[in-house]
Amino acid sequence: MADRVLELREVEVRYGRLPAVRNLSLHLDRGEIVGLIGPNGAGKSTTLHAIMGLVPLAGGEIQLHGSRLRGQPEDRARAGIGLVPEGRHIFASLTVEENLRLGLSARRGMEGADEDREWVTGLFPVVGEFAHRVAGTLSGGQQQQLAIARALIARPEILLLDEPSLGLAPLVVETLFETLATIRDGGVSILLVEQRGALTVRFADRTHVLSNAELRLTLTPKDAERGEHLTAELTAAYLS
Amino acid sequence: MTRRLDALVALAAPVALVLVIAAVGSQLNPVRQLEFGDALVSVAIVVALYVFVGNSGVLSFGHISFVAVGAYLSGILTLGAEQKNLILPTMFGVLRHTTTSTAVSLVIAAAAGAVFALVAGIPLMRLSGLPAGIATFAVLGITTNIISYWDKIGPGVTALALVPTNGIWTLMTGALIAIVVAFLYQRSPSGRKLRATREDPQAAQASGIQVHRQRLYAFVISGALAGFAGGLLVHELGSITTNQVSVELTFTTLAMLVVGGVSSLSGAVLGALLISGLNSFLADAEQGVNIGFQLTLPTGTRLVTIGAVMALVLILRPSGITGGREVRLPRRWRGASASRELGPGA
Amino acid sequence: MTFLQSLIDGIGLGAVYAVVGVGIGLVFGVMRLVNFAYGELITAGGYTLAMLSGAPGIVAIIACFAVVVALALLQERVAFRPLRGASPATMLIATFAVSFLLQNIYLLAFGSRGSTVGTLGGLNHAIAVGSLRIRWITIVATIAGGVLLTGLTFVLNRTMLGLQLRAAAADFQTARTLGVRANRVITWAFAISGMLAASVAVLLTVQSPLVTPDYGVSVTIFALVGVVVGGLDRLLTASLGGFAIGFATAFVGDLLPSSGSVYLPSVVYGLVIIVLLLRPSGLFAGPRATAAERV
Repeated sequence: MADRVLELREVEVRYGRLPAVRNLSLHLDRGEIVGLIGPNGAGKSTTLHAIMGLVPLAGGEIQLHGSRLRGQPEDRARAGIGLVPEGRHIFASLTVEENLRLGLSARRGMEGADEDREWVTGLFPVVGEFAHRVAGTLSGGQQQQLAIARALIARPEILLLDEPSLGLAPLVVETLFETLATIRDGGVSILLVEQRGALTVRFADRTHVLSNAELRLTLTPKDAERGEHLTAELTAAYLS
Repeated sequence: MTRRLDALVALAAPVALVLVIAAVGSQLNPVRQLEFGDALVSVAIVVALYVFVGNSGVLSFGHISFVAVGAYLSGILTLGAEQKNLILPTMFGVLRHTTTSTAVSLVIAAAAGAVFALVAGIPLMRLSGLPAGIATFAVLGITTNIISYWDKIGPGVTALALVPTNGIWTLMTGALIAIVVAFLYQRSPSGRKLRATREDPQAAQASGIQVHRQRLYAFVISGALAGFAGGLLVHELGSITTNQVSVELTFTTLAMLVVGGVSSLSGAVLGALLISGLNSFLADAEQGVNIGFQLTLPTGTRLVTIGAVMALVLILRPSGITGGREVRLPRRWRGASASRELGPGA
Repeated sequence: MTFLQSLIDGIGLGAVYAVVGVGIGLVFGVMRLVNFAYGELITAGGYTLAMLSGAPGIVAIIACFAVVVALALLQERVAFRPLRGASPATMLIATFAVSFLLQNIYLLAFGSRGSTVGTLGGLNHAIAVGSLRIRWITIVATIAGGVLLTGLTFVLNRTMLGLQLRAAAADFQTARTLGVRANRVITWAFAISGMLAASVAVLLTVQSPLVTPDYGVSVTIFALVGVVVGGLDRLLTASLGGFAIGFATAFVGDLLPSSGSVYLPSVVYGLVIIVLLLRPSGLFAGPRATAAERV
């Protein structure tokens, strides 16, 4: 059996009375990239927030290595979950270096911190190059790289990415996805929320389609080869 | 049909409560009557505060300014000419030479409260949240500071005394007027619009509601009621000092509103009566009361207890004991259609 | 000559107000909470010093710091932590309630007549420079204010705790998802603001030694102006604002005839209102809509 890192079982999240996520079960194995796509408001971001502890569960449970995940967002960050939120949320008034150093907050100890920093600056040379710039002056793509680097510097086991390609030029997106693959190869499991459906299906090991708070469909890269069928299937799932 | 019935109950419940308090109070000895009178004046002040805070969701620490202005003005207006020459020799001529009946002085107090609220409200209604809280607190600071020292508009550092007092029935009528005005306002189109802005300011603005203007209306009505309630206060006590219409009263009236439930009229009335009751009991207990055994509390226990009650309610039940809901008939007495209505503050 | 004298007195008080402004601003930055009960921390320090007036100065001062920091942490733990995430209005009412509660506890415990602080009373002696009299406390307060603010700036800019405090002030939720522990950061913010309040208590009781239950109220309200103008990201302006108000209070109060100076509170409150109207969305702009609020 594969090394199961994260597992969601019948997860429910509500905002007031409105269900945001209903009966969602999915899992993430070590070294996997799992995609999560669907229309706006389908519950993709909410799923990431639930894993991070930013919204309470109304039902079901989330397991990390087979034991129930609890606690505040900071506890989960320390347990090895890194979130790159939608809109990046870098600290615009702090320098790039300070943003990175904040990422170290999630580390339990400082052993290996230097190697991880090297690894991260290797992946994203920009954060080394502009270390002393104020983060708010970076371009959108650079800010996105900083946000990922900041989450990675704590060496999380799981990386949750919320629409990392949003607002980026196609060429930049391609580079970004290549880097994500390298990160995965470094032993980090990735849960990737995306708007770019077809691209994600081709790229991720598995891709779940969420619509109206529920999981409608699960696709693999093989499905991507079916071209028009895939488009039709996706459209149907989105509209359901 | 049920909606109208609900509205009727929402008005009838606080009215009935006030009637009962007045009726019970009138049967008691004069000292107890004073305490009940106190409670009725508190109802009027808290209802005034509620009209703005409850409907708009914006905090005000400044309403006691309007109460203070109403109290001083109404008190001064009802003093006779000789009394004025005696205690208010330096006052402006107009005020010194005018004497009115209590009823007229209350109307003038209400008007003064409204004007003051309008003047203060035009700039301040742009604020909400923290800035509103601090700015209204500053208004209170200015008002009490000026009343305390400017002897052309009042007695200056000394107390305003010798004001004719009124009995419990007058105070009851005053409290009822405040409740009815508050009720009519909250049912009016303007009141409904303002409540919509409380739930979701952006959405309300998007649907064409002018938030500032609606807040200003409520602030002015609320200021008028507060001025009126100030008039009641001075005619209950017979004298007043700026200390009595300053931070402590701001605090106790806010405590009443918070404990009862900020967003409902029933909450305002219930909170005012409950905290007044507690207040009177503790004040008695500081003097020593017999409740099966002799209880004497150290001086100062009263305000410590009320502070603690308020802090506890804020922490444990921020929406107050009524939960911010109006009193309604039990479900089984009501039509099935009514159960579809959404609870407020959801 | 009185002009220069007032100027010097003003600087001493201004330094104290600057520290108060920063103490309030620090907690506000992290928690979006204006702690009306900050003044009661200063008062607690005052009473501690008054009770230990006979003890050696250093003992009294250490006790003052211990009591004030403990009370600051207690405020946070008992009253403000349960309300984290409540609306700003609720939190403001809560700090108001705590302030009121503490004042009445002081009243209950120490009475309304006040207790006199003797610690460091010697600092009221003055040295004569020409015809000017400079009290030692003016010099001590100015230096102490400078040292405290420099020290705080160092902590904020050079330590991991400082970095986390600044991050929490900018975007608390994101800071938490990076592993910044909310309780730890907030506890530290309260502890530091408590230390600042204790310092203020020591300095202020030299200049006005009679501690009453509402001792800290006016200082707090006045210093709020500084916080209104500045903030955690603008520590300098917060302290400058505090300084200006303290300075003006002493300076104008000295120069005006007493018939005019009784209205000084009105002038200060008026200033608060004007500042709020001109900068309603400056410091007090709500925290950015967090990701969790969007579905």
